[in-house]
Amino acid sequence: MAAGLRAVRRWALAAPAPPGLAFTRSAFVVQKANNAQPNWLGVGLAFSTSAALWALLLKEHNEDVMEYERRKQARGQKCTRCS
Amino acid sequence: MAFLPDESRSLPPPPLLNKGSMWLGFMGWLSALLDNAFNQRPVLRAGVHRQILFATVGCFVGYQLVKRTEYVYAKVDRELFEYIRHHPVDFQTA
Repeated sequence: MAAGLRAVRRWALAAPAPPGLAFTRSAFVVQKANNAQPNWLGVGLAFSTSAALWALLLKEHNEDVMEYERRKQARGQKCTRCS
Repeated sequence: MAFLPDESRSLPPPPLLNKGSMWLGFMGWLSALLDNAFNQRPVLRAGVHRQILFATVGCFVGYQLVKRTEYVYAKVDRELFEYIRHHPVDFQTA
């Protein structure tokens, strides 16, 4: 880990562009996630997206059921032999 | 071809919690738990918002996929029965 930190210092001082391996060593340049302080924006977005998705799903299901019943009625009055 | 053509709405819609949506919802939840495990968080108690979101997305995608599956099967069945109807000689049961 110390070698990685030295490498970071070298890159920051010397090169404007990180070397091609920067992605594989990105664990040394990003900050450690702090799980003690919730990312309230992320939490709010996640819950609101979930609620929206459930609402969309329920609405779609109910619309599908109604459309199917409607078409069955229409078909039933048109043709009694159809399967 | 559209993902769900209009004639697919003539089919009875699958129940909201069917095998596909439940399985994909479970997979979504499991992937949230896996994400907790990989980031060294308590597996079940952490990131409940993430677990709910992933499970919801899984259920949603599963429902759409099951609808398409049923449509494809119904289409194949219809073509099969049409073929049988047009070729009665090949399907004598006498």
